[in-house]
Amino acid sequence: MRRGWIIVGVVVLVFLLAFISQYNNLVTLETNVDARWAQVENQLQRRADLIPNLVNTVKGYASHEERVFADIAAARSRLLAAGDPGARMEANNSLDVALGRLLAIAESYPELKADASFIRLQDELAGTENRIAVERMRYNESVETWNRAIRRFPTVIFAGLLGKGARPYFQAAEGAREVPQVQF
Amino acid sequence: MQKAFKNRLLVVILFLLATASCFAALPRPVGYVNDFANVIGRDHRRQMEDVAIALRDEQGVELAVVTIRTAAPLTPKDYATQLFNEWGIGGPEDSGLLILLSVDDREIQVEVGYGLEGVLPDGKVGAILDQAVVPHLAKGEYGQGLLAGAKVFKGELAGEHYELAREDDDWLMAFIIFILIAVIVTYLYRRQDPKGPGGTVHRPRPIHVPRFPHGGGGGGFGGFGGGRSGGGGAGRKF
Repeated sequence: MRRGWIIVGVVVLVFLLAFISQYNNLVTLETNVDARWAQVENQLQRRADLIPNLVNTVKGYASHEERVFADIAAARSRLLAAGDPGARMEANNSLDVALGRLLAIAESYPELKADASFIRLQDELAGTENRIAVERMRYNESVETWNRAIRRFPTVIFAGLLGKGARPYFQAAEGAREVPQVQF
Repeated sequence: MQKAFKNRLLVVILFLLATASCFAALPRPVGYVNDFANVIGRDHRRQMEDVAIALRDEQGVELAVVTIRTAAPLTPKDYATQLFNEWGIGGPEDSGLLILLSVDDREIQVEVGYGLEGVLPDGKVGAILDQAVVPHLAKGEYGQGLLAGAKVFKGELAGEHYELAREDDDWLMAFIIFILIAVIVTYLYRRQDPKGPGGTVHRPRPIHVPRFPHGGGGGGFGGFGGGRSGGGGAGRKF
C-alpha cells in the first residue's frame, strides 16, 4: 500500500519536473520568436517613417511625377486594407515596387540626384531595407525553431496542454499599417 | 487557394536562399586588414592596421577591412552582413565596423554594428563613401581609398568609448581552472615535503593563464569580440 503511494509520488514528481523544464523551454523559444518579430516591426516602422520625408524631397524637384506619388499612396492604402498575412505581404511588396520607381525617377533629375538630403534619405532607406531583410530572416529562423520544437515528442504533449500552436512565417507588420503620412 | 500556395512557395524559396547562404564559404580573419583580393599596398596596409589598433585601444571599436574578388553567389551587402556576424566584429556593445571591398563586383559596402548605428547612421556612411572613398576607388587606388575611409570613420568615432573587455564565461572558467590547479599543486608540494604537513609550504609557481582573444591594450590582432550587426550601413558602386 505504502509502496504504491511512493511510486505514484515519484511518477507525479517526475512528470512535474518534466513539465517545468518543458514549460521553461517553451517560454524561452516563444519569447525569442516575439522578440524577433518586434525587431521586424521596428524596421518596418522605421522605413514607414522615412517615406514622407523622401516623397517630399522628391516632390521639390519632380512635382509633376504624380503617378509615382499616387502609386505609393495606393500601395500604402492597400497595406492598410490588407487583412490576411498573404495580402499584407503582397501589399508590402507593392510598396517596395512603388518606392523603387520613386528612386528610379531620380535618374532623370540630375539636381535631385545631387541633392544631399535626397542622397542621405536614399541611404537611410536602403539601410532600412537591408535591416528588414536581416530581421525577417532571423524571425523566420526563430519561427522554424519554435515550430520544430512544438512538434517533437514529448514537447508536443506539453505544447498541446498549454494550447501553443505553430507560428506563421514572415507576415507584413502591424507597425507598417500606421505608416506614412504622405500628403498630396 | 492559389495564394496560399504562392506564399508557401515564397517561404520555401526564402529558406533555400537562407540555406544556400549558410553554405557559402566565408574566410577566416587574418587580422584587422584582410586583403584577400590582394589589392592593398604594404604601406597602406600598415597604416590601416595602425588606425584599427588605435580605434580598438582608444574608442573600443573593432574595425575590419576586407577585400574580396567577388561576393557571388551573395550580394556584397549580404556577404558583408554574414561576414560581420560570423567574425563577430566589435565588443559586447556591438561596436564593430566592417569595410568590404568587392573588387570584381566594383562595389564597396560598409556594415555598421548595432552599437555604432547612432553615431554612424546610414546617411552619414553614404556621404563619407561619396566624399572620401569612392573617388579613389574609381581611379583604381584601392588601398588609398580604404585607408582614407578608415581615417574618416576614426574621426567620426573620436568622442566615443565602448567597452571591449567583458566578464564572460571564458574568464570565469579560466579562473576556476586556475584555482583548481593551484589547489592541486599546493597539495602535491605538501605531500612531497619530507617535513610532512605543517612544514614549510612551498608556494606554487604562478601559472600562466592563457589570454582569451578579446582585444585589450597594446599588441596586434587577437581575434574579434563577438559583436553583431543587422544590415546597417551603406554601400556604393564605383
